[in-house]
Amino acid sequence: MRTLRHRLARALVLAFPGMALAGSLGGPGGAALAADDNPPDVGDRRGALVDEVVFTQESDVGKVAGLIERGSYHVFAQGVTNTTVYHRLRDSDEVGYEQAYGTSTELTLNPAGPEFANGRLNPFAVRDIREAMNWLVNRRYVAEEIYGGLAVPRFLPINTAFPDYARLADTARALEIEYGHNPERASRVIREKMQALGASRDNGTWHYDGRPVELTILIRTEDARKRVGDYVANLLEDQGFRVRRQYRTAGEASRIWIGTDPNAGEWHIYTGSWVSTVVNRDVASNLSYYYTPRGRPDPLWQAYDPVPELDRIAERLQRRDYDTTEERRELMARGMELAMEDSARVWLVDQTNVIPRSDDVALAADLAGGIAGSRLWPYTLRFRDRLGGQVIFAAPSLLTEPWNPVAGSNWLFDTMITRSLSDTPVMPDPFTGLYWPQRIDSAEVTVQEDVPVTRTLDWLSVERVPEITVPEDTWIDWDTERGRFITVGEKHPDGMTARTRTRVRYENGYLDRRWHDGSRVSMADLVLPWILTFARADESSSLFDGSYLPVFEVFQRHFRGWRIVGTDPLVVEIYSDQIYPDAETIVAQRAPSVEPWHTLALGIMAERSDELAFSADKADRKRIPWMSMISGPSLDVLERKLGRAREHGFVPYAGVLERYLRADEISHRYQALADWYAGQGHFWVGDGPFYLDEVHPVERTVVLRRYEDFPDPADKWLRFTQPRIPEVRLDGPMMVQMGSGARFDLTITFQGEPYGREAIKEVQYLLFDGEGDLVHQGRAAPASGGRWRIALDAGQLDALGTGANSLEVAVTSTDVALPTFASHAFATVPPGTMTLEETP
Amino acid sequence: MSTAPGVASPSRAGSLRDLRRIAAFTARRLVALFLTVMVGVYLTIVIANMGGEVDELRKLQIRSTVAEQVRADPAFADMPAEERNELIQRRVQQQIERRRLDEPFILRSIDYLQQAAVLDLGRAEEMHSDRGSREVYRIIVERLPATLLLFGTANLLVFFVSVFAALRLSRHYGSISDRAVIALAPSSAAPGWFYGIFLILIFAFIVPVLPAGGMVDVPPPDGAWAYAVSVLRHMVLPVAAMFISSIFISIYSWRTFFLIHSSEDYVEMARAKGLPAGMIERRYILRPTLSPIITSFALMLIGLWSGAIILEQVFNWPGLGTLLFQAIGHRDTPVIIGSVVIFAYLLALTVFLLDILYAILDPRVRVGIEGDNQ
Repeated sequence: MRTLRHRLARALVLAFPGMALAGSLGGPGGAALAADDNPPDVGDRRGALVDEVVFTQESDVGKVAGLIERGSYHVFAQGVTNTTVYHRLRDSDEVGYEQAYGTSTELTLNPAGPEFANGRLNPFAVRDIREAMNWLVNRRYVAEEIYGGLAVPRFLPINTAFPDYARLADTARALEIEYGHNPERASRVIREKMQALGASRDNGTWHYDGRPVELTILIRTEDARKRVGDYVANLLEDQGFRVRRQYRTAGEASRIWIGTDPNAGEWHIYTGSWVSTVVNRDVASNLSYYYTPRGRPDPLWQAYDPVPELDRIAERLQRRDYDTTEERRELMARGMELAMEDSARVWLVDQTNVIPRSDDVALAADLAGGIAGSRLWPYTLRFRDRLGGQVIFAAPSLLTEPWNPVAGSNWLFDTMITRSLSDTPVMPDPFTGLYWPQRIDSAEVTVQEDVPVTRTLDWLSVERVPEITVPEDTWIDWDTERGRFITVGEKHPDGMTARTRTRVRYENGYLDRRWHDGSRVSMADLVLPWILTFARADESSSLFDGSYLPVFEVFQRHFRGWRIVGTDPLVVEIYSDQIYPDAETIVAQRAPSVEPWHTLALGIMAERSDELAFSADKADRKRIPWMSMISGPSLDVLERKLGRAREHGFVPYAGVLERYLRADEISHRYQALADWYAGQGHFWVGDGPFYLDEVHPVERTVVLRRYEDFPDPADKWLRFTQPRIPEVRLDGPMMVQMGSGARFDLTITFQGEPYGREAIKEVQYLLFDGEGDLVHQGRAAPASGGRWRIALDAGQLDALGTGANSLEVAVTSTDVALPTFASHAFATVPPGTMTLEETP
Repeated sequence: MSTAPGVASPSRAGSLRDLRRIAAFTARRLVALFLTVMVGVYLTIVIANMGGEVDELRKLQIRSTVAEQVRADPAFADMPAEERNELIQRRVQQQIERRRLDEPFILRSIDYLQQAAVLDLGRAEEMHSDRGSREVYRIIVERLPATLLLFGTANLLVFFVSVFAALRLSRHYGSISDRAVIALAPSSAAPGWFYGIFLILIFAFIVPVLPAGGMVDVPPPDGAWAYAVSVLRHMVLPVAAMFISSIFISIYSWRTFFLIHSSEDYVEMARAKGLPAGMIERRYILRPTLSPIITSFALMLIGLWSGAIILEQVFNWPGLGTLLFQAIGHRDTPVIIGSVVIFAYLLALTVFLLDILYAILDPRVRVGIEGDNQ
């Protein structure tokens, strides 16, 4: 059954990228997930569904399947792209896997020239030749043969698993057909343009200026790109080019493709790869980044010379200079077309990373970031057949840098752990990237009328007003000398406006919760992180950190103030000029969260006394240790600071914070922290579904325990364990007589059940004639029981002419970003011809 | 018998002369060793940095990392490109300055050397100790016990087993076991990690009785005894791998060594006198060969310092080999230099001590009249 599914998935990969994603998800991983139909009865259990999580380090991917089978580990946190390991996982009965699609492979083409400084010819300076590379490469071959099915073809500068791809499904599909594998067309274009450049083909080899035209391909050697590079080199040799293959690792290659002037002619093609660790709901800036000199200051980007229309569209999309989502969509669609014509990059595949896990374990993986990038893993991790128990994660690296809550380690697997130790106001949907409320009750987003913002979910509202005036009592800055916030009224006596106002209403009892050390959350936990936001950027502050300044300046460009509207329940207003297309994202970016002020206080004391520093940069400049709240020499310093803080009742920025403290809060907090340190041996205090129980730095092992006082029911997020990717079947006549209409039936299901109509965002269809030209497009009409109907009238079919045609359908859902495609081939025949349907 | 005032007695004068010779020899030897260490360390500095080329690689890496961080951060998404690129440049510059990559390599290399000369290992540029310290000393010391434990155990086992087995074989030249050892000696052509892979496959997966890697169970046991037992279990496979890869060639070479010495005239004479075999082994074979045995033993001990990169990787062992591998990957020059500096000083110290030890063990070794070591 598994093999059959896999073959089906492979067949689907060959058919359509999006469909392949759906098909592969319905493969082994999906089969294992099917067991989730009966999630465990959690009773009144709160917080995590398992009792203990252990993280340990394992760098050998080859061992993983075997170690999971023998029960040494349950989950390997890193995505695997090795096909041998993938096949091993696929064939194992004890091991399942999750899938993620955040990695892409492309060919970066050198656009300099057409003559390099060394006199050699660079054919890729010609836009048409770059475009022809799209027809030359067979993306299906790359996905299926080189990546062994662990990839899907990709044509556009949009990841096929991201919402923008679904929004542009019709355009995408049309472009994918337009730029499908067509080596004859590629050869023709290359031949014409090479001749136009003054090159001639002698004895099958292109010559320019009396010398053979030699192309240099920088081929990365660490992964499947080595074979991709060889494949492209072979194709180009077949086209009459001499090819020099330079096999290089990341560092060696970067010296050439990033480090040198592209005009110097050190390379022609580089096998590039890009990674995204979250589902990015707005990739409109990709055009600017990948095709224009605005992308990066490096020499390669400065050599890009897009046509003015592409440049203008890319800039507008990057600045979010559009009034409506429809306008954005049109800009994106046109931008995609122009990007394909430009083809400074030839996108090849979106890789599928498989994340191995034991078959009896389930958890929510992010469609882009996998498990390591998933915010929901600690909330959904469980054994399929029981509650509680111990789950062991292996990761290729752990405890890479010191942990502190201000500027500590941001390594992927470290942050994966720390995310489970602290709760968050909102939770990203792992399948759509939209945010759901976690600790907040509701939010109101107010935007200026000209701001294009869309709301999808109903836990928040969007209001449009002509102008948003920032109230005078809103805090906008920090006065280090006087130790107080500066209000808008003081800083901008003439008043100030903002493009957005976000009012966040936290859930009841938000400030009654307890930290892991048993102390109660208070308003000071909300206010102190705000003070640090400003104090660390103020040169007169003892906490000033030069490395933080650029980040702060970006924040300050948009920030227009914040204020506490109420405390029971907690309501906060934030004013900003920064816009995101989704209102949910605006709330997620604005909603402040809490940090335990008493642990921050120890860090502040240590940094003020120049014994420790929050950031690596400041630590190195002052030649003091980078603060770690979980291990190492920092602990002795922090312990001493705890003693002093308890002795003196220290409260940082007491002039502001004291008014937000409860009675006896200071002594209670420090007492709780002292007890915590005595018991746990570290200072990491959070409010997440797990607490940090043990840290073994040399053994590279971290032990988390379930936090039993976590406020939420244990099954709160279980609906996100499995992506509900629509499964689509398209039926219709094989032959249609011209002059008559035709009806096609579409069945959309998920695990055999009809897909809820309310969850279907859009069902678009595209009608292509035998030449692959788009003749007509429209939207399917809903019928009952997960069925949809496409009716084509006689006029639409007549426009096809006689011959073979194709009806393509793109289904997008509100439950998952990934669109699903289906296709139906049929022939239009002259009137009177007997059709297959009429054959007795 | 009295001595004229101001005139030293011949024996005293001889002692003083010997002391002067020893002092001069010691000073010269120390200076020579120190210079050798400095030359070795400086070569390491230059090679580890590819004569400064690595600076460019690291700058590029910083540029790429910062650019990608900015790209991934939605806060930067709608910034005007010029501002964003200017911001990228500032952040890159900060990183470059923090790592002192803005200074000429030659100046930094001299700094590195000065620090090495006074055994100041300094701060790492990219890495941290497992507990989070930037101090190279802490980074290295933290990994030392794991390496000493694993390689110490394996090498001591190999050394003593091979010496005593070789002695025995040298007495039974041509026996079945002797021929077996000769036949198996080429098996040492394969390194320990090679055998390690097979041992893991067999004993961790096919017959899963031993752990596939790591130093201790996950999570580590609480009690000291339980912890020690767990570590011992995890040592079995890597020690076995090293033992298998080294033991036969080691026995073979010691056996050959002892055979050569067993055929010396004075040994034949002892045998002819009918002395017991044990006495012949101890007094006539082992004693005169003690210097090379101790040299080999001392160098083996020093060799523990460097660990074994691939073997530690295969067994996921948190030792110095893994550390060096990571340091090379990060291009963290201070950590690479730190490892080499300590090794170089230990080697120099060992060589110096061996010089002295030779003089004690072997009466033929003397500080020469002309001050030369003979």
